[in-house]
Amino acid sequence: MSAPLSLPDLDLPRRNGELAFDAPWQSMVFALAAAVTEHAFGGDREPFRQQLIAAIAAQPGRPYWESWTAALEALAQTLPDRPTP
Amino acid sequence: MSAGGHHPAPVSPVEQRVAALEALLTERGLVPAGFIEEITSRYEAEIGPIYGAKVVARSWVDPQYKQRLLADGTAAIAELGFGGPEGDHMMVVENTPGIHNVIVCTLCSCYPWPVLGLPPAWYKDPAYRARMVREPRTLLAEMGSPLPDDVEIRVWDSSAEVRYLVLPERPPGTEGMTEAELADLVTRDSMIGAARL
Repeated sequence: MSAPLSLPDLDLPRRNGELAFDAPWQSMVFALAAAVTEHAFGGDREPFRQQLIAAIAAQPGRPYWESWTAALEALAQTLPDRPTP
Repeated sequence: MSAGGHHPAPVSPVEQRVAALEALLTERGLVPAGFIEEITSRYEAEIGPIYGAKVVARSWVDPQYKQRLLADGTAAIAELGFGGPEGDHMMVVENTPGIHNVIVCTLCSCYPWPVLGLPPAWYKDPAYRARMVREPRTLLAEMGSPLPDDVEIRVWDSSAEVRYLVLPERPPGTEGMTEAELADLVTRDSMIGAARL
């Protein structure tokens, strides 16, 4: 079991203290960002956070989880190519 | 590992993008099997109850707040900015050395959502709902919280009208801790009364 992951400084949308997911793709993209943070960046939240800040700034009116998706797409672009066998 | 065979076909553009991300990141080996489910359940279990934990921690450090909390739970919880339709009538019940409180909903799964988030699966289980009323001491022991015989157990049956929140006892040895540190100690199960701190 890895150390508890936490993204508290990202101002996640919540309702009644619960993370607010309206559709399965939202919780999926949330968890994917956690996966990349943990497994590609050793738990460092900053790379994703910077992408999210940029994605929200680029389109401030865009729904939150769509910005989150755009941020993860941008972050995925920065990943080194998978080593070819 | 095959990605997402159990997911319904994406229908919206953003769903397609997320599915593509899932496939890409899985192929890169960044999404171990079970990781998505683990993250989701961890957040449901650990992030949801943080509001309740803040209420409890405040009451531990501020005796006047605690008085207000026990007198009018809804209003005192609202002071911290928490509340909502599911928490309209919150009653806070205080554990003491001689009294242990536990909440249940015998009819369905009424639960103080605004302060505890999603209820755990076992809370909705018919066995918990029935046995916590019939044999709370036995069930609490089975759940890992055996209570001395001289501790009275009070079982509170939630309803659509009243939702209960257990105020656990402040653990010994925490005198020097800050309010935020104290909040970290407060578990969801302790605020249901299914565990002691």
